Amino acid sequence: MSSKNNVNGQAYGFQAMTPIEPGKEHELRGYLEGMHAAGSPLEKLPRTHMGRFVIVEDFHNDPSWGQRKEEHLDLQYLIFTSNFDGELDSYLDELCEVMAPEAQEIWGRCVGCPASAAGDELKAYLKHNQIDCGFFYAAYGAATVPEVKAALRQRDELIAFATSSQGLGPEALQEAFIARFGSE
Amino acid sequence: MSAPPPSQGPVTATGTASHNIHGQAIAITVFSTIKWWGKPFLPVLFATTKRVPKLTGTLVKLSFIHFARWSVIEQLPYNGPPQTKRKLRYPHMYFESNFNGGWEEYIDAFSHILTSGMAAFWGSSYGFPKALPVGPFKRYIQVNETEASHYYSAYPQATITMIKGALDVEGKVAPLKRNAAKMEPDAFAAAYERFLTEAQRSL
Repeated sequence: MSSKNNVNGQAYGFQAMTPIEPGKEHELRGYLEGMHAAGSPLEKLPRTHMGRFVIVEDFHNDPSWGQRKEEHLDLQYLIFTSNFDGELDSYLDELCEVMAPEAQEIWGRCVGCPASAAGDELKAYLKHNQIDCGFFYAAYGAATVPEVKAALRQRDELIAFATSSQGLGPEALQEAFIARFGSE
Repeated sequence: MSAPPPSQGPVTATGTASHNIHGQAIAITVFSTIKWWGKPFLPVLFATTKRVPKLTGTLVKLSFIHFARWSVIEQLPYNGPPQTKRKLRYPHMYFESNFNGGWEEYIDAFSHILTSGMAAFWGSSYGFPKALPVGPFKRYIQVNETEASHYYSAYPQATITMIKGALDVEGKVAPLKRNAAKMEPDAFAAAYERFLTEAQRSL
């Protein structure tokens, strides 16, 4: 697959699949599931639209499906995917810096992760384990996270304004609109 | 021997495991094993789908998918022992979607509206029972689905309809904001009414 398939508009679809150290699967799962309570570390990466961590225990094999031979994973794997703004290198630079404490807890439990689990070494590790997209779909791939958030804020304000300004005369309406939204 | 069943975490009213949810956003993660002919076929399908926007038109119209991806995994990068250095016997397809709504409704819509697209994307996967009837297809997705351990959305309370509407309104309100102070009050009031009429479907 080509790395061009990871891009849709200005959005990038990153995926890394790393083998988990045998015996550390349970504590990694516990750590990842516990991140909900403390707030997502992905919040520290303002270019991230959506991301996930998934532990894959094995491939599914069903004898009734006609697959001639079963196939199993040698180890359990951690999948990290992110849908973010812009290009990969600078995103991973940010991730490897601001998420260093969490990265130690997450990829530090994976086979081959550098001891520091931070900086250029972690970036190289994640890129080494990158899986390119075959097809990446983004419903609003032209819009960045700040643009989406600003548009949503403005939408809320316009709805509130439409309600609160009902019954105002032209002059008062104009004044209220300029006071609320400014005039460029 | 089969893989362990998908993690049975708390399940929401819509049938979605709770770790797959952040606000309105829901994650679905599915692995499937691909038949030999999927290996040459899928890259062609992906390339064609990307180059012909009409083919993704239905996805756009469905308006409940934020981001989705399909990846074909032929080999896993090697990181040293205890990982085994080996070539996978079969290619495997990874699918993820970030959507809003319920799991059941999502699969229903996929089956009924994207019937031919589903056959194209999953037809080369072992066990794919066709998109319709929807019952067997739901069971197929359930056994191949893996629950996320952590899922994040930067704007968890927003649906696609809200986001697309907000981005659409952005363009419509810009001229009004630009000219508001230069207009006479009556002209502004008329322009504001026109804006509301044009933007009401997006608000």
